[in-house]
Amino acid sequence: MQKFDVVVIGSGPGGYVAAIRAAQLGFKVGIIEKEALGGVCLNVGCIPSKALITASHHWHRAHHDFKNMGFILKGLDLDFKKLLEWKNSVSGKMSSGVAQLLKGNQVTVIKGEAQFKSATELTVGSETIQGTNFIVATGSRPIQIPGFTFDEVDILSSTGALALDHVPKRVVAIGGGYIGLEISSYLRKFGSEVTVVEAQSTVLAGVVDPECAQVVARKLEKNGAQLLMNAKAKGQKKTKDGYEVTVEVDGKEQILKADKIIVTVGRRPNGDQMNLKAAGIQVDDRGFVVVDAQRRTSQKHIFAIGDICGQPMLAHKASHEGVLVAEVIKGHNRVYDAKTVPAVVFTDPEIASAGMMESECRAKGYNDLLISKFPFAANGRAVSMQETEGFVKMIADKKTHILLGVHIVGPEASNLISEAALAIEMGARLEDVALTIHPHPTLGETMMEAAEATLGHAIHIIQKPLTNGKSAHL
Amino acid sequence: MATDVKLPELGEGVTEGELLKWLVKPGDTVKTDQSIAEIMTDKATVEVPSPMNGVVKELKYKVGEIVKVESVMITLESSGQTTTAPAATKPAASTTTSAPATKAPVSIGATLNVKLPELGEGVSEGELIKWLVKPGDTVKVDQSVAEIMTDKATVEVPSTVAGTVSELMFKVGEIIKVENIILKLSGSGSVASAPAPVQVTQVPVAATSTPAKIPAAGATQAGPILYPPPADFKVLATPSTRRLARELGVDLNGVPGSGLAGRVTRDDVMSAKGPKTSAPQTTHISAPASFPKPAYVSPAGAQEERVPLLGVRKKIAENLQKAKQIIPHFTLMDEADVTQLVGFRESLKEAAEKAGTKVTYMPFVMKALIATIREFPMFNASIDDAAGEIVYKKYFNIGFAADTPNGLLVPVIKQADQKTIMDLSKDIVDLSTRARDGKLKLDEMKHATITVTNIGSVGGTYATPVINHPEVAIFGMYKISDKLVLSPDGKVSVRKVMNFTVTCDHRLIDGAVAARFLKAFINRIQNPGVLMLDMH
Repeated sequence: MQKFDVVVIGSGPGGYVAAIRAAQLGFKVGIIEKEALGGVCLNVGCIPSKALITASHHWHRAHHDFKNMGFILKGLDLDFKKLLEWKNSVSGKMSSGVAQLLKGNQVTVIKGEAQFKSATELTVGSETIQGTNFIVATGSRPIQIPGFTFDEVDILSSTGALALDHVPKRVVAIGGGYIGLEISSYLRKFGSEVTVVEAQSTVLAGVVDPECAQVVARKLEKNGAQLLMNAKAKGQKKTKDGYEVTVEVDGKEQILKADKIIVTVGRRPNGDQMNLKAAGIQVDDRGFVVVDAQRRTSQKHIFAIGDICGQPMLAHKASHEGVLVAEVIKGHNRVYDAKTVPAVVFTDPEIASAGMMESECRAKGYNDLLISKFPFAANGRAVSMQETEGFVKMIADKKTHILLGVHIVGPEASNLISEAALAIEMGARLEDVALTIHPHPTLGETMMEAAEATLGHAIHIIQKPLTNGKSAHL
Repeated sequence: MATDVKLPELGEGVTEGELLKWLVKPGDTVKTDQSIAEIMTDKATVEVPSPMNGVVKELKYKVGEIVKVESVMITLESSGQTTTAPAATKPAASTTTSAPATKAPVSIGATLNVKLPELGEGVSEGELIKWLVKPGDTVKVDQSVAEIMTDKATVEVPSTVAGTVSELMFKVGEIIKVENIILKLSGSGSVASAPAPVQVTQVPVAATSTPAKIPAAGATQAGPILYPPPADFKVLATPSTRRLARELGVDLNGVPGSGLAGRVTRDDVMSAKGPKTSAPQTTHISAPASFPKPAYVSPAGAQEERVPLLGVRKKIAENLQKAKQIIPHFTLMDEADVTQLVGFRESLKEAAEKAGTKVTYMPFVMKALIATIREFPMFNASIDDAAGEIVYKKYFNIGFAADTPNGLLVPVIKQADQKTIMDLSKDIVDLSTRARDGKLKLDEMKHATITVTNIGSVGGTYATPVINHPEVAIFGMYKISDKLVLSPDGKVSVRKVMNFTVTCDHRLIDGAVAARFLKAFINRIQNPGVLMLDMH
């Protein structure tokens, strides 16, 4: 039997970060992982998908953009097996990095599946582990819909889709959320015929700014993907040459042919696992573990972080909570009080956001808003990169000019959004962003210009004077 | 050969500890790794092991003294086994060379400490009124263990952990600061749902400077009390300022921001915390520095007793001193013929009894007062000196002075204008009972817009009460007596007469206004029927 001050269950971006911080704080820490260190994120999620998306991006540009720069490519072949190897090596590097960090911090790694016996004890296989405190960080799993049971050969979850060893000819992707669109755009770029089946009227509905979603939808269609909106997947049938997927669009049924079916309709928290009941941990009817602002469960010494404790299901939220919880256990007075969890979608172009969408601002009682956009087409760096689609959109409170939301669709949106997150956490006004000198020529200038645009007078676009003839801050 | 045994490193950042107990005495034979003393640090209680075999020659400290890391705790006379050791230039090391391991397990006493949690904004300490547990008792998580009286309210302190009470650290009447350990529990009991204490850790045997980490287990973890609450999204404070506020126990939701567009700055948080942060060593929450603090020099041999000025009494002293310093007071007095009111109230007695309460004169006075204030809104105002503004309040929260064993308390009836006479009666009974029992919640003593004092129920014809700053008036009601009154037509009759006073902040309220106010009030209270006209 092993005893720890802190037992972490799950070694994803929530769990391993919590374990390291707890160890830094002087605790004796054990971490339990049933699969690979790093969890979904490092092994079958964020990291491998980004490797494949990057590869497909380069592949696509080589075929479409490079000739403008004078590159004459005579035949460009894809060794997909090699690509897969490289992708796996990326995940492998990250996962072994986690192993080293855990070891370097004297965290004991226990392989296996945890089952609670009581509030102070759990088992992993035949081994009993006792803890003074527990951190449940076991994340979520893909939702399965009726008629589409995952076999991970032909009917794939995100995990199977990222493990494909060839480019399938015809793909039906059910679910136009961020995971579905990321996978669809990468497969499309490598040549799959892709049909996205989405039950709502737009892709990424309710998740990102509608105008940003529109840019991505247009680009996907331009690249040759088919988007079926208001479409319900009813079932599938195996035929001689693949599958027939029955889809109902606006009440009419139609058949889509596919070699692979990818189902990414969302993820559900793993609150139904680990026998949490035995520990007296309250789980809500959607499977989320119920926690307070310190991420404490109904048991005061047991904490839950990441996907399993609530939306948004994002790795960086889990990591933030991991640090928080370790410090709470140490006795520090901490709560989760972040103003924004930035979100990133690695579509083409990328979408990234921090703060609130316009609808959310209004729901919060901000009725007078300043909203404006600055296009990447007016940015020198974007032009010189040949990546001019998209814009930076800013939303601010009209009265105080305090930045409420930033929504970017465009090149490197994922890398640009951190400035917006910082600005929002710091309570920055539009002027703070506009008056900060941004280096030229960079994509980052679009942030400064978007702030200026929202105030009414960006330099690199022609703006009509505001109604009172004055810009908002002159 | 004598060898000095030093206090080893106890953990990161721990430089000293208090000697709780000697586990050996001079003349005892000790073995390597045998515990020789218990030391309490701010993180845990540890047992200090002997690095070698020997006979105790001298104990260098007394129980209760503070021992610094690396200072010599005891002297040992080495026994036979160490004679092979090289010359004792480095005595401690001499034995470790022959010891196979340089580290040995040491048991951290299975002690769980219960600390005094944050009690509220600006509250740094409290007086222990009563222990609710005694040594040997089994305590559950969240079970109340003590009653603590702060300058604002009496609160019950819950235990953050479960266990058996081993030691009470304070006596009734003593002052306990927030974060002080108030009691110790031993966690040996079979407590199912509670975190078990960490039993074992490693400290180096040799008195070298090898760092050792002593994990602070569940014993020192924060309790379930979440104070302050997370800041609202609209509060503008940077992440580091939010953390500072949390660590200082400042609720950002109530802090006015002095920065651009209402940003709450670090300075705002510091000043919201009050003088305590700049002078953490102060024993009491000090009154604003501008008040004189003359000493009282006792005459030689005088029979006197000195007790600390603390708790409710201290707060009363501070508040009244502040009120008198800030507000130029004046008091206007008059008498009212309440014959009708007395009859009216008599007629309601039965109905009130049926409703399970009793109706005093106070609710009638409150109703008449509210009706009169609607005519004279400056009586329901405050002066914001910092902003140079008068704040007129559109709500009516009436405080009433309650005489309690702890001293004067002012419970507040919120939105009194929206309550019936019966509601007010019930509230008054409830709040004054709980005021006497020390069970009022902090919130129930806040945000009055005007106060009524009924000192007359005890005695006195008239008084000049002190306004409860930042209110601008206090209304006084006095005893009812029979009086021979000469009416304008020359007839003499016996009337019920009651005296009233209104004490005003002269900065805002002129004498003539006060006179008109009191007259308008008296018109209402003399004719309770008129009150009906104001009812919604």
